[in-house]
Amino acid sequence: MAMIDVRDLRKVYGPKTVVDGVSFSVQPGEIFGILGPNGAGKTTTVECIGGLRRRDGGSISVAGMDPAGEGKAFREALGIQLQESRLPEKQTVAEALQLYSSFYSRPRDWRELIERLGLGAQARTAFGKLSGGQKQRLSVALALIGNPKVAILDELTTGLDPTARREVWGLLEDLKGTGVTLLLVSHFMEEAERLCDRVAVIDRGRVVALDTPADLAAGVQADQRMSFIPSGRIDTVALQQLPDVHQVSSTGERVQVTGTDNVASAVIIALHEHGVAVRKLRVDQPNLDDAFVAITRNAEADAAAAQPIPDQSTAAAALPGGHR
Amino acid sequence: MSAMTAMIKSEGKLLVRNPGVMVWSTILPLAATIILAAIPGVWAPSDDLGGLSFFEVYRPVLVMFVLAILAMQVLPDVLTRYREMGVLKRLRTTPVAPGLLLFAQLALTLLVAVVCLVLMLVIPTLIGAEPPQNLPAFIVAYLLGGWSFLGVGMLIASLFRNAKVAAGFGTLVFFVMQFFAGLWIQRPLMPGWLRTVSDYTPGGAATAALTDAGSGQWPQLLHMAVMAGWGIVTSLLAIRLFKWE
Repeated sequence: MAMIDVRDLRKVYGPKTVVDGVSFSVQPGEIFGILGPNGAGKTTTVECIGGLRRRDGGSISVAGMDPAGEGKAFREALGIQLQESRLPEKQTVAEALQLYSSFYSRPRDWRELIERLGLGAQARTAFGKLSGGQKQRLSVALALIGNPKVAILDELTTGLDPTARREVWGLLEDLKGTGVTLLLVSHFMEEAERLCDRVAVIDRGRVVALDTPADLAAGVQADQRMSFIPSGRIDTVALQQLPDVHQVSSTGERVQVTGTDNVASAVIIALHEHGVAVRKLRVDQPNLDDAFVAITRNAEADAAAAQPIPDQSTAAAALPGGHR
Repeated sequence: MSAMTAMIKSEGKLLVRNPGVMVWSTILPLAATIILAAIPGVWAPSDDLGGLSFFEVYRPVLVMFVLAILAMQVLPDVLTRYREMGVLKRLRTTPVAPGLLLFAQLALTLLVAVVCLVLMLVIPTLIGAEPPQNLPAFIVAYLLGGWSFLGVGMLIASLFRNAKVAAGFGTLVFFVMQFFAGLWIQRPLMPGWLRTVSDYTPGGAATAALTDAGSGQWPQLLHMAVMAGWGIVTSLLAIRLFKWE
């Protein structure tokens, strides 16, 4: 049986439909990512799942319970780390964990948790004096203190520097296989790639892709990107007309070209014919980030096709055979 | 440890770690009461004060001063900051209701205030001051006054989203309240019309009721009704308007 089951979830704010028929299910012990651009409806979706917002349609079941009931048993089974939620500046790490553990009937041992999250040395440090990464680890600790079956972690690493981000990721990797089901909200593809078993990409309140991170990247035909410094003047219009080229642009003397898998050789040959050499060449393979951009752009194009808005055609043209 | 005890303990620790608040709200009025009681002559009945002594007139003001600061300045500041910081929302994600935090704050405020009250009654008595003549009436008046003050404070916490605005407004209300309570012009010295206005404010009614109790009478029904009225109205409004996030 699924640990989290969401069917056709809808949430409306005034005239705006923020969540428009989201469905997915998460298996016990799975780390499930919810990705999407800002304002896509990710937080609203998880807040409905967490029983913090009333849904306007659809059904949700978390560990067999309906969050709309919002009973004590539901709160015992679910831990939530909220986006941008702070603690009193002068409360210490140990005090916060002790206080929150008193709220649950079967809490985890906070001393063990503090060590596990690498906060042992900060037990007596006030919240206001913690680093960003330490604050986030404490936030994760508070979501796990009640020994929940499911933990929702919302934008855990947003605003952290790369070191702190890796620190938090390391912690979540350690949690893999401890049996707790994690629902991770993010807008970092790298985060999902590293941590998640499966990922749902949400855009404009809809699930536009749902797969493992690897299959998601493989399924998208994103553009290849190349950039170089030409040895002489080049004709960008002629370059643009090559069949393998989608877009040509330049910053300073460096020229960027995007196109199909063959774009690099096609451009180099064409320039060679005009006696122009290519220096400092760089070619980038599409990665998960590109997949994310392609998926969400594609959804945008679909929306544009449904209700014609000018200016969206470039996005569709740049992304042939996008993924659904 | 139950969630309630843990919460009160935790909030208590945080309050004590804010020494500015503690000094201003408790130590200052406490010291003022003790020093005042030790000055010779404050006991002499004065015709200007309607036959009451200066100490009798001023003690109620100082007693309510503690509650006024805690209820109108500290309480709205703490609660609006907790809301801004998402502490109240985080509590919603746990099995305890966020109302527990409100309850803990109220309990803590009352606890600090009552400890101060006891010290403000006992210490001057030890150095020779007379305790309130009608103690039951004094306690009833104090609790009713406390209710109206806490209600006003909770209403401020409910009305304002921004912690700085709430704290600023709380300070303003505090000074207005203390003015009518007679911190600067004692109630017997107020012109008749001003005293009438004062009668209908929580601060003025509380001071009047405590002064009556101090000299052995039961407070006037008017003052008791004013305090209860403010208590009921502000509490109902606060409950209706309070937002968790």
